[in-house]
Amino acid sequence: MTATPLTAQGQLRAVLAGEPPELWYRDPVSCLQSTLAAALRRAGHDPLEVLGAHWEFRFLPGDVRPEEFYYPCAVTGDLAGSLAPHHPVSSRWHYPPDPGRSGPEQSLRGIAAAITFGQLVIAAVDNFYLPFRPAFGDVHAAHLIAVYGIDLAADQVLVSDAMPPAFAGPITVADFLRAWSSANPPDPQDVFFSDTRIGRRFMTVTAGEPFPRLDAPMLRRILAANLAGFSGEDASDQAGWTGLPGLKLYLMSLLDACARPDPAQLASAYPLGWGMQAQASLHAELLRRWGTQAGLPELREAARLVETAAHAWTGLRMTAAHGRGDPRACAGELARHAAGLRRSYELALAGLQDAIGAL
Amino acid sequence: MSDGRDRAAGQRGAVLTSAATVRFVPVGLSGHCNNRAISAADDTRSGQFNVWGNSYPAAHLPDPGSRVQVAGVPFDFPARGPGGDNARCCGQLITLPPDHYDWLHLLTAAERRAEDTVALHFEDGDVDFETLRVSDFWAAPARFGERSAFATTQMHYPHHVQAGLSALIWSQRVPVTRYQRLTAIRLPRNIAIHVFALTLQSAWAEAEA
Repeated sequence: MTATPLTAQGQLRAVLAGEPPELWYRDPVSCLQSTLAAALRRAGHDPLEVLGAHWEFRFLPGDVRPEEFYYPCAVTGDLAGSLAPHHPVSSRWHYPPDPGRSGPEQSLRGIAAAITFGQLVIAAVDNFYLPFRPAFGDVHAAHLIAVYGIDLAADQVLVSDAMPPAFAGPITVADFLRAWSSANPPDPQDVFFSDTRIGRRFMTVTAGEPFPRLDAPMLRRILAANLAGFSGEDASDQAGWTGLPGLKLYLMSLLDACARPDPAQLASAYPLGWGMQAQASLHAELLRRWGTQAGLPELREAARLVETAAHAWTGLRMTAAHGRGDPRACAGELARHAAGLRRSYELALAGLQDAIGAL
Repeated sequence: MSDGRDRAAGQRGAVLTSAATVRFVPVGLSGHCNNRAISAADDTRSGQFNVWGNSYPAAHLPDPGSRVQVAGVPFDFPARGPGGDNARCCGQLITLPPDHYDWLHLLTAAERRAEDTVALHFEDGDVDFETLRVSDFWAAPARFGERSAFATTQMHYPHHVQAGLSALIWSQRVPVTRYQRLTAIRLPRNIAIHVFALTLQSAWAEAEA
């Protein structure tokens, strides 16, 4: 990716052809799923089929970062590949070649080059500096937006963001650079997503070929693989704490954090849980859609059970988030939500087993 | 794929009966309020619906303490008392006028989608558990088939008023299936769920009453 698109006047300019990225959004998802969905849609793929196929539990001790787009990657650094292992997709972070020396414009050349190659760019930003975000001038938070054009002569970076309030259009280069270069300092208003350097990172997504179309045999294989992942006997392998045993370990660790007490560990349930909740919710939506279209009540019932598991994260996440100031005081309620979450997973997995039989 | 199992069973048409007597009983929640979710534009920091300190703009909602109708169901919109303007659910036990009821109607909202248990206490000591399902308050669709009761066009942040972002209050209901006198309910133990108002409905036919 070495091309540097310049205008005749030597100004950087690169704009993706066609319509702005689709604003793909569901209320349980974060900017991670919404931006990946925009990239998948641009590549001609159905985001729900891709992002809703996989369902797992994964916790990587020491890995949780205060970013809205945090996800515990099975493949280090590959968010798309980790979220969608049943499809030939992958993503890669791009960093400034020399963070200490490369200026912002030099870094913008990397984005422009990716756009010139027809890739939708996903940029990490700090909401504090984005005029269209509710947090503008108020709250620091690490966020993702799609970038579909740069035109330095027009002083424009074309961005889109499906998270409410959705936005698509130009912002000034200065605004983008501030958001993209932010140190994202610790912000007491948002302890969950601040205090992590943005660092002029951007991500590109690659969709390989052949790209499968979901059919009943493939869905059966996916569900079987997901079930196998949940039943993994080694819950503490190199890929972190995984499956149902891993979930149990993680929930115990949260309760231990109440007893120690460890507010930071409790706070980490918010970003980790968002990724888990979003994925479960999309999986449920995919199963519900398939079960409806194919006339399979068992699949729709399994979908509802998976969705219930997704929703069970809410009580855990909010109890941990609100209770982090006094971890011991919230231990009882957190234990109740942890037990409910575990039960909801067990019921959902049983439902999926039934659904496989009906497919 | 489909083998016809999912086809709706044949139906012979609905049966119409004489109209039942529908009675609504709004229930005061002021003694159970423990959260302030509604704020004035010049005092947005006073609202703390969610962990971010967002709140509903008072100017976009009914007057405190007023009676409002949502799809034919009367609710007493919360007054702003010392405890707040809503019950953030932490297992509050709400005593009810003992009677036969069919539905609990709630004005409610959640910090993210939430489903949790309401305990229904009956006069003879029986308890049934039912599920309260509440969609996200943050610019979200009704995931559980609720009715949108109120949708603001602004959201309050601790330090500013955000235009173009909707905060929602849902009208949701919970069934009472037992043909016994209901005396109390216990709200879920789930602080993501907020209840602004509660109204009981009975719709017994005269012959059953």
